Amino acid sequence: MITRTLSILGAALACAMLAASAVAAAIPANVADYTLDPARSALKFVFKQAGAANQGRFRKLAGTLRFGDTNLPASKLDITIDIGSLDTGDDERDKTLRGPELFDMARFPQARFKSTQFKRLSAGRYEVIGKLTIRDVTRELHVPFSFRTTTEKGEPVGYMTGRVTINRLDFGVGQGEWQATEQVANEVDVSFGLRFSAAAAPAAAK
Amino acid sequence: MPIRNTTARWGGVSQTLHWLIVGLIITQYVLANLEHDLPLGGEKIALLARHKSVGITILMLAIVRLVWRALNRSSPALPATLKPYERVIAHVSHITLYVLMFAMPLTGWMMSSARNFPVSWFKLFQLPDLVAPNQRLYHFLHETHETLSWVLVAVAALHVLAALKHHFVLKDDVLRRMLPFTRTPSGGAAE
Repeated sequence: MITRTLSILGAALACAMLAASAVAAAIPANVADYTLDPARSALKFVFKQAGAANQGRFRKLAGTLRFGDTNLPASKLDITIDIGSLDTGDDERDKTLRGPELFDMARFPQARFKSTQFKRLSAGRYEVIGKLTIRDVTRELHVPFSFRTTTEKGEPVGYMTGRVTINRLDFGVGQGEWQATEQVANEVDVSFGLRFSAAAAPAAAK
Repeated sequence: MPIRNTTARWGGVSQTLHWLIVGLIITQYVLANLEHDLPLGGEKIALLARHKSVGITILMLAIVRLVWRALNRSSPALPATLKPYERVIAHVSHITLYVLMFAMPLTGWMMSSARNFPVSWFKLFQLPDLVAPNQRLYHFLHETHETLSWVLVAVAALHVLAALKHHFVLKDDVLRRMLPFTRTPSGGAAE
């Protein structure tokens, strides 16, 4: 009885090790896989409205990062933003922003940034070039950022911070009367502080 | 007209502040009524931005007015003909008008902060937020702001009716001493 249990356990262990080695083989050298930790990440935006800086944020994000300082060609970033989670501190404005003339959440519930290339700017400073899709418009975007890794509770974590200015009208965020920039500026200052923890399911990052 | 107040009439600074604030307050009601039923859009944002800028201007002028009043110890007194209860009503309504000159802009500013729509003064500079964004607080302040606006209408109406009564019924100089280009019977020379 005991021997049978042990042999089953042994077989299971062998399978697990095989699976792990298969996954390990799929990951290029000198990179680590991470998963975005939405609860401890922030994606904020600031836009000028009638002369005052108005702020908001997206509360629901998901994403994966594969990153290696010495293997930037193998690095990649993929972030999905839930448009419905936008929060500017005012219900009426949030509803308006989700509406058909701005983000049009009903048709385009998510925005996405997918990297195509990473560049090193200086120690700990990089630039990611990628495709940002908002509504049905995809545009190339260069985003400078800082990245630092640390260990928290024995787990490797990475912090990615940076900011970039985009023009909302480039993505069609502003149809009809919202095309006017006299009251609501075209420029939107986007800033982010993303926390990545070691990928829970590395296979998903392939 | 003298710059400073005398016991006979209001000086140039007090008169200017009084009538300037009257004009700006009327402007506020016009702007508020124009924007009130508009959906959130460019026009509403523009009207509200103007309403906020004018409101902050009133707040600044109210501070100047209060300081100037404190600096002018000899200001025109209430007429001696007033009955005791009329003196009470006059004092209470004047104090209420002063309080509202501050309370209206301040509740407006606070509700803008609570709604996370910061206030800019004519797009020249942005004012700090008075409270953190909070939708429930915003709705409460919005109600308060509107209620106070009706209190202001009522007290201002009383103030106007009283001034007209002094002028046309009692035929004293209470209204004239706040008007430029007039002569007060008590001898205060006007221009």
